[in-house]
Amino acid sequence: MTVKTIFLRAGLLAPAVLAATAALAQQAYDPMRPAANPLAPPTSAPASAAPAVETDPELGNLPVGPGAEDTYYQCVACHSTAIIRQQRLTDERWDYLWTWMIEEQGMYEPEPETTDVILTYLKTHFSSER
Amino acid sequence: MTDEIMQPDAAESATGDGTDRRGFLKTTGLAALGAHLGMNIPFAGNLMALAQGMSEEDIMAGKDGLILMNDRPLNAETPAHLLDADVTPYEHFFVRNNGLVPDTALDQNAEGWTLTIDGEVDTPLELSIDDLRERFEVVTRRLVVECGGNGRAFFQPGASGNQWTTGAVGCADWTGVRLRDVLNAAGVKDSAVYTAHYGNDPHLSGDPDKNPISRGVPIEKALTEDGLIAWEMNGEPIPAIHGFPLRVIIPGYPGSASQKYLNRIWIRDQVHDGAKMTGYSYRLPAYPVAPGTEVPEEDMVIMTDMPVKSLITFPQTGSETPAGAPTEVRGHAWAGSGDIASVDVSIDFGQTWIPASLDPPKNRFAWQRFRADVTLPEAGYYEVWARATDMAGVAQPPVVPGWNPRGYGNNMQHRIAMIAT
Repeated sequence: MTVKTIFLRAGLLAPAVLAATAALAQQAYDPMRPAANPLAPPTSAPASAAPAVETDPELGNLPVGPGAEDTYYQCVACHSTAIIRQQRLTDERWDYLWTWMIEEQGMYEPEPETTDVILTYLKTHFSSER
Repeated sequence: MTDEIMQPDAAESATGDGTDRRGFLKTTGLAALGAHLGMNIPFAGNLMALAQGMSEEDIMAGKDGLILMNDRPLNAETPAHLLDADVTPYEHFFVRNNGLVPDTALDQNAEGWTLTIDGEVDTPLELSIDDLRERFEVVTRRLVVECGGNGRAFFQPGASGNQWTTGAVGCADWTGVRLRDVLNAAGVKDSAVYTAHYGNDPHLSGDPDKNPISRGVPIEKALTEDGLIAWEMNGEPIPAIHGFPLRVIIPGYPGSASQKYLNRIWIRDQVHDGAKMTGYSYRLPAYPVAPGTEVPEEDMVIMTDMPVKSLITFPQTGSETPAGAPTEVRGHAWAGSGDIASVDVSIDFGQTWIPASLDPPKNRFAWQRFRADVTLPEAGYYEVWARATDMAGVAQPPVVPGWNPRGYGNNMQHRIAMIAT
């Protein structure tokens, strides 16, 4: 990247600063960034627009919040939190996945109260609905 | 001319969310493991790896520039510009594992390995790798392997699974014997309907009675000349993470049909109902649905041929090029239906298209090289789009095609940014 050149130019002339800034912004733009289809109208809640959330490195970088600990210990028996942190699903798909993990994947089924805590946490933080 | 193209900082694009890959592995994978060592929770596979002194990081050693999606199970995709070679080298070949990497693969120990062919056959076979080598013609074929969920990240609402963008694809030289030859040697009965593939990779839960994945293909597909039972990838024994010592390769189908760590092919008298054959796995709605629709399970049908697709592998997105001078843009195109008829590129958001030159495939289901010289008329921001068309005249759409609950089969046109200076 021509950072050095741009820096020198920027020191010479104010319009060049603007031009350099625009060039950098252009270069950083990724037309294939994982988001809603750019050719479609924007949706109400794009994931990329969400404010940065505090995560807990002790809990596999899951977002801090009620249910994070229960979710962590329930899930990492089989897989890491990396797969959870990628998801943005409808509530119905989370319910389906929960059942699928118990029935097909041998997941331990916790008490109903714990199930509720975990599913609420997942639907809160990894949702396409909110 | 291509010498003048300037690549953006590779380190930036290699760590999509700003997370350092190695740091990520240490903080997430190993911290999680440490937490569980004290908890006596079943963790068989990783403990086996750990006993051998292997972490996820060790297992992934030799991989270069991949974007890690998940560390247990291991899943990583390849940025488009690292897929420029005609034959994808090991270090740039994407990783999609459903279970854990078995000890036999980690040890590169194929001693006593056998492949069983049974079920709806006249003569069940139990073959060593030497038997395969000696009894059947050994062939090398260049074959694309692509995850059925490649492109999932672009579906809205989201679909569960790894959020692959464009990089869950690679094209390697696979050496082995034709699947057809082996099945014919066993004698496929008229009652045969489907293959069922099995490997020895442990399930994530540690339950030895569970398979992480066991898929198959219609017997007609298995008996085409293209499928392989392979033991070499790019002239070397298949690496641990890609299926050592044996892997069936079913070109044109979702990569999940190409079972790693292969030890059995059961010929069935019904459609296979193994792990990830049923429910929503690798299935599409039987009819078009609006995004977010809850489709009843009985209306989901098995995904077969992968859609027509292309990828711009040079230059890297965000590269600079001089205005008014021709610049080579190139990449690969492939399709589950077979050969590609044409590839076109656009520098004006699809308003006009420029035909690219297209090389013939080395063999069927190898990806095909396309090249086009584009001239960006004035300084500024451009996108280069690529669109492949298969022999049936089916082309890639500009938008995400048919939403489906698990986010399969996204073959939208690939786009890169180019900055004319």
